[in-house]
Amino acid sequence: MVEPILDIRNLSISFSTRAVEIPAVMDFSCQVMPGEAMGLVGESGCGKSTVALAILRDLARIGRITSGSIHFNGRDMAKLSEHELRQIRGSEIAMVYQEPMASLNPTMKIGRQLTEVLFIHERVTKEQAYGRALDMVKAVKLPDPERIMGSYPHQLSGGQQQRIVIAMALLAKPKLLILDEPTTALDVTVEAGIVELVKELGKQFGTSMLFISHNLGLILETCDRVTVMYSGEAVESGPIRDVFGSVRHPYTQGLFRSMPLLGTNRNSRPVIPIPGQLPLPHERPKGCHFGPRCSHFVDGVCNVSTVAMRSIDEANTHHSRCMRVEEIDWHAQPEAATQTEATGAGPVLLNVKGLKKYYKAAASELFGGREARTVKAVEEVSFTAREAETLAIVGESGCGKSTLAKVLLGLETATEGTARYDETDIQSDPIERRDTKLISSIQMIFQNPFDTLNPSYSVGSQIIRTLERFGIGTSREERSEMMLNLLDLVKLPRAFATRMPRQLSGGQKQRIGVARAFAGHPRMIIADEPMSALDVSVQAAITELLTTIQRQSRTTMVLISHDLSLVRYMADRIIVMYLGHIVEQGTAEQIFAPPYHPYTEALLSAIPLTDSLAKKRKIVLEGEIPSALSPPSGCPFQTRCHMKSKVSGSLCEQVVPPMRDLKEGHAMKCHLPSEILDQMTPVIS
Amino acid sequence: MEFMSPFAIVLRVVIQFTPVWMAMAVLLTISFLFKRRLGLYGFIIETGTGFAGVSILSFWLFTAIFAASVAPFDPLGQIVSMKDALPGAIEANSGLPYLLGGDKLARDVFSRMVFGSRIVLIIAPLATFLALSVGIMLGLPAGYFGKRIDAFLSFLANLILAFPIILLFYLLVSPGILETPIPYALAGFFFVFPILLLFTLFWSGYRAHPKQLALRLVLTLLAGGWLFATFVFDSDPFHILRVSPSTLNIFAAVALASGPGIFRIVRSLTLDIKTREYVQAAQTRGETPWFIMLWEILPNARGPLIVDACLRIGYTTILIGALGYFGLGMPPESPDWGTAIKESSRLMRAFVHPALPPALAMMSFVLGLNLLADALREQSLKD
Repeated sequence: MVEPILDIRNLSISFSTRAVEIPAVMDFSCQVMPGEAMGLVGESGCGKSTVALAILRDLARIGRITSGSIHFNGRDMAKLSEHELRQIRGSEIAMVYQEPMASLNPTMKIGRQLTEVLFIHERVTKEQAYGRALDMVKAVKLPDPERIMGSYPHQLSGGQQQRIVIAMALLAKPKLLILDEPTTALDVTVEAGIVELVKELGKQFGTSMLFISHNLGLILETCDRVTVMYSGEAVESGPIRDVFGSVRHPYTQGLFRSMPLLGTNRNSRPVIPIPGQLPLPHERPKGCHFGPRCSHFVDGVCNVSTVAMRSIDEANTHHSRCMRVEEIDWHAQPEAATQTEATGAGPVLLNVKGLKKYYKAAASELFGGREARTVKAVEEVSFTAREAETLAIVGESGCGKSTLAKVLLGLETATEGTARYDETDIQSDPIERRDTKLISSIQMIFQNPFDTLNPSYSVGSQIIRTLERFGIGTSREERSEMMLNLLDLVKLPRAFATRMPRQLSGGQKQRIGVARAFAGHPRMIIADEPMSALDVSVQAAITELLTTIQRQSRTTMVLISHDLSLVRYMADRIIVMYLGHIVEQGTAEQIFAPPYHPYTEALLSAIPLTDSLAKKRKIVLEGEIPSALSPPSGCPFQTRCHMKSKVSGSLCEQVVPPMRDLKEGHAMKCHLPSEILDQMTPVIS
Repeated sequence: MEFMSPFAIVLRVVIQFTPVWMAMAVLLTISFLFKRRLGLYGFIIETGTGFAGVSILSFWLFTAIFAASVAPFDPLGQIVSMKDALPGAIEANSGLPYLLGGDKLARDVFSRMVFGSRIVLIIAPLATFLALSVGIMLGLPAGYFGKRIDAFLSFLANLILAFPIILLFYLLVSPGILETPIPYALAGFFFVFPILLLFTLFWSGYRAHPKQLALRLVLTLLAGGWLFATFVFDSDPFHILRVSPSTLNIFAAVALASGPGIFRIVRSLTLDIKTREYVQAAQTRGETPWFIMLWEILPNARGPLIVDACLRIGYTTILIGALGYFGLGMPPESPDWGTAIKESSRLMRAFVHPALPPALAMMSFVLGLNLLADALREQSLKD
């Protein structure tokens, strides 16, 4: 009988605040066997990071373990002294956090930070330490290891920094590696690389892993077993195939239903968001915590007493915390699966031709730069957008999508080209010169809900200010009434009008952002990564909201995102951008089916799937996104392209490919000959 | 001459402050009862440092308000027999003691200390507010617009910071300058800033409500008019204050000394807050730059600014005293603490008792401000 390396039994953690003691984690149990990867899934506020910190005994002064035990390698963590804990942290248990830039000391070189780990935990000479650190940098697949050892953290990109943090964590050969959302801050293709790396290293070094994430697809790809947490409790746990293939808890089922299934769009299989809100920690319902939001809730059964975790199969591996596990029909179709008609697109609203935006990056403003270098943020972009259509712009950081949005809004002016919006040319009109009607007609939904509202004013007053600014409504009462109507539109209670932003959750703040954007009856909305900072179930709710409002008001939506599954769900037409160029454009069906541009192929392959039955071709890109200051010669993608060898000669390196029309509306910038394109197989099947 | 025992002196001093103790008790009790509803103030009262700071400051605030009841004698009144009297000396005619002694001009040190708090509590915060207006009006555009405006204003601020300020004070004091309109012009220049600040604030924020805008602008102009009339032209229509050129110079001196520091703080806060998305959201709405600066950025910079202002009031109090050494500042008979210390410094070897009470008073006041600033900083970090 193999002993688990980490054995958490009935763990309860509480935080003491000014008023009352708030339980953060209740009756949580989890075992991690040696060499296995356990995933911990849950949304914000469920307590998963608290569990991770408790394992390391790193709770702040106000957090205490009130009951239960954590055994690591047979030893009870609660009984260890500070000295013993220091010996364990870093050498036997290592942790990788979400923000790589915050985990590295900006004043120390990478090599020094790596060797520091060895000096603390083992007795090694300087040469030995340097050698082992260098080997580890090679093991995490970073190019040019010696140069990296001598650089500072700010000289590396986000993906490289995270690889270094993983290298630091693995240097002392820990028995358990805890990863707390390690890829949330990274781009999609970089994320895929990190996930591959973590899997390989786990097998290579035999390290057990606790992988904490809210991304179910990532967990499916990397872990052997999974535990799902909701509001401080573990609600379901078991092997990956069992939990993903035969779901046995309503919350887990709700999570799966709220994610867009690849291959469908918003009209054929709408997502079903989980109704209601996460309960506040001091207002948890009696009995099952998920009860109030559960469609299988039965009064008198589910809210009587605390529900215990029970095993539901003979092998005793799959557990669920549901009172009605045997009674519920898990294969029944969800009720709210109504299909809707696709909205017909209207006339062309926005017509962009040959738009360019170059920035001058001079050394100093006041005293004149020597050779002013140009950042070519947007290169020769042409597309159209129709009324009531959703156009998605897909790409990773540095591709120019945010700059394009800024030009359309008027925060920047174009260097060349035209952007025609409903009879007016807007590319050289900065926002100061635009009239109110035009400004209120093009509005934006921002990415970070935590920053999108001014923290000093109540939420209602900020919407009213928008109405005031656009000259809508003639009196204070009228505007107040309109503001309340907008709150109804985004399905928030009217009482929220007097609340301050800090009293709202991320999803609620994003709804206010949507209300504010629609306040002026815009005809075009630019949504800049509106979901990326939100949890899965909240994403579903906001997605539903946006699609409903758009259908009703026939607004054009320009959706900027890197999340291809969301894009497939919401968009009618898609533009894929890389380093300022449009590399492929077409309808959603055309983009997701072959022939693909090689970059699109890699992006599709990087999407973490939640469907355990689907198969995916794996394409991992080498290298990093090149800097916009010195773009590669010829095709921008040629430095990382996996199909470059199929083009004869060095055409890719010398000539920028022209935009080729393939079918009606489908175009791409690639030198690949048509025969190769016709032979491409789908990435996801 | 009869003297009171030291114990009797202490007891009598404590009794003299009775109205202050009562007012403090009422204030602190109300604060504790309603601390949940009092927002930031409630948080501050709960911490040890915050409570200590608020207690000390409320002590001096109520002393200033009830000065006439607390002080037994007139601060400027001289009783010849009590010249350089030691603490506890009982005055023959009225039977009342000079509790902390008499100074070299036979005035009651205790009463002077009590009345001095009035001047300090009016002038120091007002001068700091002036410097704050200058710093905000210049720091916001420097941080928001950047490039040339920023380069120019930062250069100016650095110039003033680099210039030896004491030389400037001597210049302001020299008789040749005092006869010219330069002190008035300088003060007038600085006093424009608070008026400009309020004006721009209302103009940018109330554009959609013409009636409220008009009301606020008129009030601002009236307040500004009073300010100018009283301070620059020394013709207060309400006849509360008399302001001599040397007092006026205090304001100019404080604005010059503190302005660049506040400018720097506001500028760096603006540079940081400018990157937030709600500022971008305001820009996409087409808001004017001054609206964004005053209504979107400034309210979110209030944490560090309040802390800095608290500390600066303390420094200003000390500066007013120091200015006295240059002959710049309050008239020599003024009971404010800095001047009192300066006046008694000459005979300090022989008679130390006139200098100690104002020194201890100033020390406790600055301590109170520092404690409050500490508590505020702790809170603003949590936000």
